[in-house]
Formats: sequence, C-alpha cells, structure tokens
Amino acid sequence: MMNTIGIWIGALLTLAIYSFLYKDNPFYKLAENIFVGVSAGYWAVVLWFDYAWPNLFEPLFKKGQWFNIFPIFIGILMFAPLIPRISWMVRIPLTFTMGVAMAVSITQIVQGDIFPQLQATFLPLTGVSFFDAFSNLLIICGVIFTLIYFYFSKEHKGVLGISARIGIWFMMVSFGASFGYTIMARVSLFIGRIYFLLHNWLGVI
Amino acid sequence: MNIFERLSQLDRRIIFLLVAIAVIVPMIVPLNLPVDITKPVKNVYDKIESLPEGSVVLVSTDYDPGSEAELYPATEAFIEHCFRRNLKIYMMGLWPAGSELGNIALNKIAKYYNKKYGEDFINVGYRPGGAVMLLSLGRNFSDVIKVDYQGIPVDSLPLGRRVKSARDLSMVMTFSAGDPGIIHWIIYFHARYGVPVCGATTAIMAPQQYPYLSSGQLVGLLGGLKGAAEYETLVERRGRGLRGMDSQSIVHLLLVGFIGLGNVILLYQRRKK
Repeated sequence: MMNTIGIWIGALLTLAIYSFLYKDNPFYKLAENIFVGVSAGYWAVVLWFDYAWPNLFEPLFKKGQWFNIFPIFIGILMFAPLIPRISWMVRIPLTFTMGVAMAVSITQIVQGDIFPQLQATFLPLTGVSFFDAFSNLLIICGVIFTLIYFYFSKEHKGVLGISARIGIWFMMVSFGASFGYTIMARVSLFIGRIYFLLHNWLGVI
Repeated sequence: MNIFERLSQLDRRIIFLLVAIAVIVPMIVPLNLPVDITKPVKNVYDKIESLPEGSVVLVSTDYDPGSEAELYPATEAFIEHCFRRNLKIYMMGLWPAGSELGNIALNKIAKYYNKKYGEDFINVGYRPGGAVMLLSLGRNFSDVIKVDYQGIPVDSLPLGRRVKSARDLSMVMTFSAGDPGIIHWIIYFHARYGVPVCGATTAIMAPQQYPYLSSGQLVGLLGGLKGAAEYETLVERRGRGLRGMDSQSIVHLLLVGFIGLGNVILLYQRRKK
C-alpha cells in the first residue's frame, strides 16, 4: 500500500515538474517548493545523524571526550561574521579547514594525479602498430599544444600563435565530446522518468 | 512566408513534444537496435571474469536519486555478474542515498542467487569523510567501519572479519555521480594502496575519466546509460539499460536532425540578408 502511494506521489510530482515545459504554473511551483523543502530537511537529518552526532556530540556526552569542545568551538566561530565586532574570528576555522584540506590533498594529488598523468604522456611512437603510433602522437600533440595555449607570458604570435591555435582545436574537440555526453546524460534522465511512469505507475511496459 | 521562415518561428514546445514521442514510442514498441561493446566496458567485464571465486569486490554506490536513471541499471548488472562468478560484495557509499539505492539492487539480486548476508555480501552503508575517510579506510577498515547499515557490528559477520584493509580487496567498483566519487577512489585509494579501480559514471562525467583509463589508473569504465546497456549485453541481461537504448538512439537521431535543420535555416537567413 505504502509503495503504491509512493509511486503515485512520484508520478504526480514528475508530471507537475514537466508541466513547466508547457508554461509556468502552480503545479510546477508546488513540486519545486516540495523538492526544496524535502532536500533541506533531508540534509539537516544527514548532517546531524551522520556527521555532528557520531563524530562530535556522542563522544563528548556519552564517552566523556571533553577535548571535542575545541572542534565545536572552532565550528561555532564560522558564525562570527554575524557579529561585526568579532567577525575577524572566522579566519580561525577557515585557516584550519584550508590547512587540513591542503595537507590531505597536496601529496596525494601529486602522487595520484599529476605524476601518473605526466607519465601517461610518455608514449612510444615506434615499435607499435600504425594506429597506436598515430593515437599516441595525437595525445602528445594535444598535451603540448594545449599547454602552449595556457602559456601567457609571451604574446601569442608567430609559431607560438599557431601552436596556441592548434591547442584551441584540441580543446574544442574535447568540449564537443563533453557536450555530446551531456546531451546523452540529460536524455538518459528523461528516459528514466518515462520508464518510471510507463512501468512503475501505468504498468504498460 | 515560406517553409524556412515558418520553421524559424516554430514553437519550442513542438520540439519538446517530438522528443517525448521519440522516447515513449520505442519503449512501448522496442526496436532492439544493436549495442556495440566498447573497450572500457569490456575491460570491466574481463576484470570480473579474471578474479578467482570468493574474491572480495568493494562496491561503492556514490550517487543519489538524481542520477538513479543512469547508474542503477549498471549497479544491478554489475552485482549480477559478481554473484554469478561467486564473488563477495562489500558495499558502501560515499553519498547518503547511494548505499540505500545500492541496497535495493543488492538484496534483489542476492535473493535470486540465494546469497547470504554477512557471508556473500555486506553493506556498511554511508561513510562520510571523502578523501580523509578513504585514506584511513585503506589502512585499517575497523578505524572507519564498526557497524553495518543496520547497526550490526561488522566483526560479527564473516565477510566483515575477512576484510581488514585494502590488501584484502581484489578490486573497487564505484558507481559515481560526482564528488566524492571516482576521482577520490583513483587519487586517494588506488594511488596509495594499489587496488585496481573500475567505475561507472554519469555520461557527463565520462569524458573526464578517459585520461585515467589511458594512464591505467582506471581499469574500465561504464559511461552513463550506454555503458549500462553494454554491460547488460555482456552479462546477457535485458535490464533498464538495454530497454532505454532504443529511445536514446532515436532521440539522438532526432537531435542531429534538429541541429542540421537549424543550421540550414541559419544559412538561409544569412543569404537572405
């Protein structure tokens, strides 16, 4: 029974959202506001039960980990800009957050992203099939010409200008592929909704 | 007013209607258009085929209902393949709703293959913390995971006791819709602990993963609904991926037609000026 009610609510809200394609209307506004409200409520529950309570308050109140007062205090300082006299104190949590994020990211991004990606551009042009050699050459040229486009310390004229222009072509191909995939993604989401309406709601497929 | 002038003033709602028809009709009357298998998808399939029976695969469902249409079909097809090969599944999620969606697929397929919770599969639910959590997880699972999604201590479950660190995993499969997701598994988990990573991503994210495929940091990739349809073809399972592919192909043809027509109208208008 609950499942059926859920399907009906889902189907009616789906139709209400798509009704916007005809024109703006109260059903669309209702569905939009329900979505915003439910999302806010959902995230409030997730933040409390998955972040704040198990990591901060439960250890403090149930396990006596009194030093959890410090992260709570630093967290409260995030609201300092609300009081102009102490607004500068927001720098403390911001600096702390940035420091931790940098410490975690820098070594791993160098080790896990920059070096392996750099290594992946050292590709053989001989001793492989013609197709592989051509693909490898395209990758090498793509990396070099695109990097040249982002070299701004010299005016893009002459050889540098031509190279930068070739770099733009490589980027345009990349943007085109991304745009094609984006269309595919949007159509897939629409297919998902239509499948829900035809299969789960109406049962015609 | 000739045909080009009329088309240039076409109500855009007619285009919406045509797209809707192009999606609905092939779903009701399937065309069964062929689906070619691409190398990144075949790599995921081959990786699973290469694992010995009983190996543990960590499945991370890093998406929410907004991407369910693209990633859930791939989740079901992948889990079915793992269970057919008698692999163990250790499921978790970096997104709150992801582990719930993964759980639906896991329980549905496990029931069909008579798999037992705790022995053949386990779901430890949503794990917040992103990169920091993944770095700790690989070193020692018990630092991060103490109970499963139902609150049962993982040490009381055979599969939970077996997986102590990243070394106990044969591979990671992430179903990813954004951040945190596939990039974190590659940069933080694979780079630090060397566990092979495969992924299924939304189509929007797929082009960004090709450099990682090319560098070997990512073993294989299922990109969007098309990737799911290819995987369903490989595991001989007609699910939502394959059912949606006819509509996807027809809409793409329609859009190519619209783009061509739009350019013809533009050229006509320029010539007229």
